[in-house]
Amino acid sequence: MSEHDRTDPSSEFGSTDQDHDVDVTIDPDADATPCAYTAYVERGEVEGLPATGEHATGLEKDVWDALYAVEDPEMPVSIVDLGLIYKVELEAGEDDQDGTHAQVIMTLTYTGCPARSMLTDEVETAAESPDGIDSASVELVWSPEWSLDMVTDQGKTDLREFGLSV
Amino acid sequence: MSAIDHLSGPADLEEDERQAVETLLYRLADDEFVLAERYTEWQVRSPTLESDLALSNIAQDELGHARLWYDLLEDFGYEEADLIWERDPADFRHATLVELPFEGGDWADAIVRSYLYDEAEHLRLEALEESSYPRIVDRVGKVQAEERYHREHATNWLERLAETDEGRARLQTALDRVFPHALTLFEAVDPDVERRIDEYGIRTRSLEDMGEQWLETVVPFLESLGLEVPLSSDRTVTAEDLPSHVGRDGSHTDDWFDLHDDFTHTYRELGRDSADRIMPDPDDQ
Repeated sequence: MSEHDRTDPSSEFGSTDQDHDVDVTIDPDADATPCAYTAYVERGEVEGLPATGEHATGLEKDVWDALYAVEDPEMPVSIVDLGLIYKVELEAGEDDQDGTHAQVIMTLTYTGCPARSMLTDEVETAAESPDGIDSASVELVWSPEWSLDMVTDQGKTDLREFGLSV
Repeated sequence: MSAIDHLSGPADLEEDERQAVETLLYRLADDEFVLAERYTEWQVRSPTLESDLALSNIAQDELGHARLWYDLLEDFGYEEADLIWERDPADFRHATLVELPFEGGDWADAIVRSYLYDEAEHLRLEALEESSYPRIVDRVGKVQAEERYHREHATNWLERLAETDEGRARLQTALDRVFPHALTLFEAVDPDVERRIDEYGIRTRSLEDMGEQWLETVVPFLESLGLEVPLSSDRTVTAEDLPSHVGRDGSHTDDWFDLHDDFTHTYRELGRDSADRIMPDPDDQ
């Protein structure tokens, strides 16, 4: 045992502030807990989400592959793994003049997201990039609300590597 | 509730339905936008770095919410420039509470105002959760979830400021000043249109109802902090309790016109006649 008895952490790290009657004791052996104010609210699973295009084939798969390549502007994680994409629909044109149209339905993590236009534009560009897709559009929806439950396992791994506790 | 259970999308509304939806949206969007404008004045001026970040973040939330509500007005064919930068300031429908300047950098004012506003905001969003207009319902949950932190922030600061005599005195001064303006949150833009908003089920609680519930929440809480709420003893709101300008009906304080002049300054200086977009708006496609 050193001079500072580790079994009584308060002797080393703690103090009792007599003036303010606040007892501050820090236990150095305690597990770190995330700050409550940065914890994401868990909302439970939403049927059908996250949508990842797992069973998509053909052109639709090509669109999902292209969407996978779009990353969140702040974190190195695919927006598909982040759970932002809710649906991809392909509409075949009625005649030879109209080609196949890709409609992407997506959300954002935050209403005040300053990258909204940047992100939706990237998604649109990605969705119309595969050969065989002639046009694409993006519809933003806010329900169901995005939550951490929408992040895929791969997404969680990427976020952890980036340093987030998820 | 009327026989109308569910309104259709923006393109299929009757003229009087559309007017009701638009009016409700202007109330929401203008409040959020103008309050955010005022909050941003605290950037790099808040009492601590932590509170600076918190209030700036709340301002960003409110701008995000304003954008969500203005988006729904754009459904009717308006563009951002029509709704914000080129709209006649006299046509804005926010409550005067959100347009008042913060007297002399008074932090107590920012906190009292935020508390009164966010409690009202909570109630009115609840009254939209089952709105007959689906485009509103789609957005309410997201906004409500972000608003929760605003109420926590305001309540937490109120409690701390009320712990000392000086802090409580500052809160009282701020409360006396802004409380009459907070009452305007529940005032009508136009009584006929407000009645239709209720009748069509766009909002599931009337302004009067929400106003009463709001008083039942904020008055006891403020009193528990040792503050006196400037309202008649039977706690009824009469015309005498209201300020001379209520905002909702288009009557605004001079401070609003100065603020509007300020935030449209750059737009005008650059000789704009439309809001520049680097990229197309996803809702336009």
